[in-house]
Amino acid sequence: MINKNLSILIILVLILILHLGELKAADQSLIDTSAVTENSLSSHSEEHPLPAAFMVIPFLTLLLMIATGPLFYRHFWEKHYPKIAILLGLITVGYYLLVLHDIHTPLHTLDEYISFIALLGSLFVASGGILIKIDRKSTPMLNSLLFLFGAVIANVIGTTGASMLLIRPFLKLNKDRIKPYHIIFFIFIVSNIGGALTPIGDPPLFLGFLKGVGFFWVIEHVWYIWLPTVLAITLIFYLVDARNMPESKSNISHSNKIEFKGFKSVIFLGVIILSVFIDPAVVDWVPSFDPLPIGIREIIMLSIIFLAYKSAPSEILAANEFDFEPIKEVAYLFVGIFATMMPALQLIAYESNVYGQSLTPGIFYWATGSLSAFLDNAPTYLNFLSAAMGKFNLDVNIPDQVLQFELAHPIYLSAVSVAAVFFGAMTYIGNGPNFMVKSISERAGIRMPSFFGFLFKYAVPILLPIFILVWLVFYFGKV
Amino acid sequence: MKSLDEILQNNISGMYYGNRVLLPFHFTALKIVIEKDIITDFSIREKGAYVNECPEFTEIYFMDYPELEPNISKYENIKMVIVEKGKDIFDFNTHRKIAIRPEGDHVLSIKEIDENTIFIE
Repeated sequence: MINKNLSILIILVLILILHLGELKAADQSLIDTSAVTENSLSSHSEEHPLPAAFMVIPFLTLLLMIATGPLFYRHFWEKHYPKIAILLGLITVGYYLLVLHDIHTPLHTLDEYISFIALLGSLFVASGGILIKIDRKSTPMLNSLLFLFGAVIANVIGTTGASMLLIRPFLKLNKDRIKPYHIIFFIFIVSNIGGALTPIGDPPLFLGFLKGVGFFWVIEHVWYIWLPTVLAITLIFYLVDARNMPESKSNISHSNKIEFKGFKSVIFLGVIILSVFIDPAVVDWVPSFDPLPIGIREIIMLSIIFLAYKSAPSEILAANEFDFEPIKEVAYLFVGIFATMMPALQLIAYESNVYGQSLTPGIFYWATGSLSAFLDNAPTYLNFLSAAMGKFNLDVNIPDQVLQFELAHPIYLSAVSVAAVFFGAMTYIGNGPNFMVKSISERAGIRMPSFFGFLFKYAVPILLPIFILVWLVFYFGKV
Repeated sequence: MKSLDEILQNNISGMYYGNRVLLPFHFTALKIVIEKDIITDFSIREKGAYVNECPEFTEIYFMDYPELEPNISKYENIKMVIVEKGKDIFDFNTHRKIAIRPEGDHVLSIKEIDENTIFIE
């Protein structure tokens, strides 16, 4: 079933790529492609007509089905979600190609999707070859320290890398007393908020870096927001976990040793992280394969998927119960999400540019955040960055003007950056690793909350008050 | 009827045909995880898994999977928390965690879950 769907997906991508030249030529007769920049959907909306508002229906349908499928029609959903995601994606892509005669937006989205899945897939496979055993008694303090460690290394190996590396040891550490809240706090801190300090941490910040935001700008201007936020969430976890400690039944003795296996896979992880920078926008000598929606970086990452899997010791893969299913699930769902969210992103870009003049840092914070919770946070970040710069007659596609913007109006850049990363923790679909952590935990026998359970039982009561405080302290009333 | 310990020590295999698993001992299933399906309701109102004790073996039908073999990948297991027949089900020390997986040719391996594998009861 999955393989058949995968074949359909690959064939569709190949057809799109094979027709690229032809479609691109047709596209060029309609627009001046020199005006279309690599990452800006917002500027692109000027050359092509905007999608009709009703075209957000496929996205809303997919979102609704992701939320309700596992709850109300689980068997149907589990059997057919790849087809549903692809079909809804195709409806949107078909609309762009046949009605809007716009090849650039779907191609650009395909480019982003391939980058997304190559990074996630390679980190998933490489981390599957690493076995970390922490033979210590699980305590609220040890868990909290592990979260803080995860938050820090998320800025070095990305939230996806940190999540994939630490989720299994975390589950093993807590195997005698684990509850869904353990996983949810892990998603909050390690899979999302932790990675707000560097461009490696989370994809939106990397997009900002590609546009010209200084590598260390985020850490310099966000650390004093990141630190209290991470500490506050960790403190809440500590209190919740401490309350749950007496219920622990464990009376097992521990050696207090930490065992690490899979050094080769660590090297692969390092190569993946370094390859993130192998981009024509960052390094001059890196060739661009434009208009192909793939680059050297993606080729390296996709090669690592193969190499890391083939070279990983089978006893480590067996101990991790390595299976491609979690990454397949993400690949299918997100191909639908990426394709169907194109109209929503373009409409948001248009609206934010129209109303940009009247938007304050606080509004940018909430707008970027609330949309990053449900849409891909990378393009959302870019659209609002573009709108914020537009407010000061600056262009996001000119690096000097990005530099000028970060120096003159840091609060706007800070609001957009913080919100894009932080609010990814609000839902399972807010950030790629969220879904994978959920999937790995379910395979370990932990019954995770539903989409709505996650949102209303955990994210809204725990994160929202903290995010409101962040807004009140750092962005409220600022212009 | 062999005990679970005898089966594990002597590497005795079970069998599988399609979605039916045959295990050469009697037990009560408390929890089964297949892929990301967590099955704890073994009553007839739920489709997940049907467990039936026969005189010489216990059989499980995984109702949501027409075939087990293509669904369980190379390093994956079906994980179960069981209590052998005759043991006190209310004593948590009698709860055993075992992993079964289709090895091909209808042979089903049966192993005790070791400390490396993450499986939460």
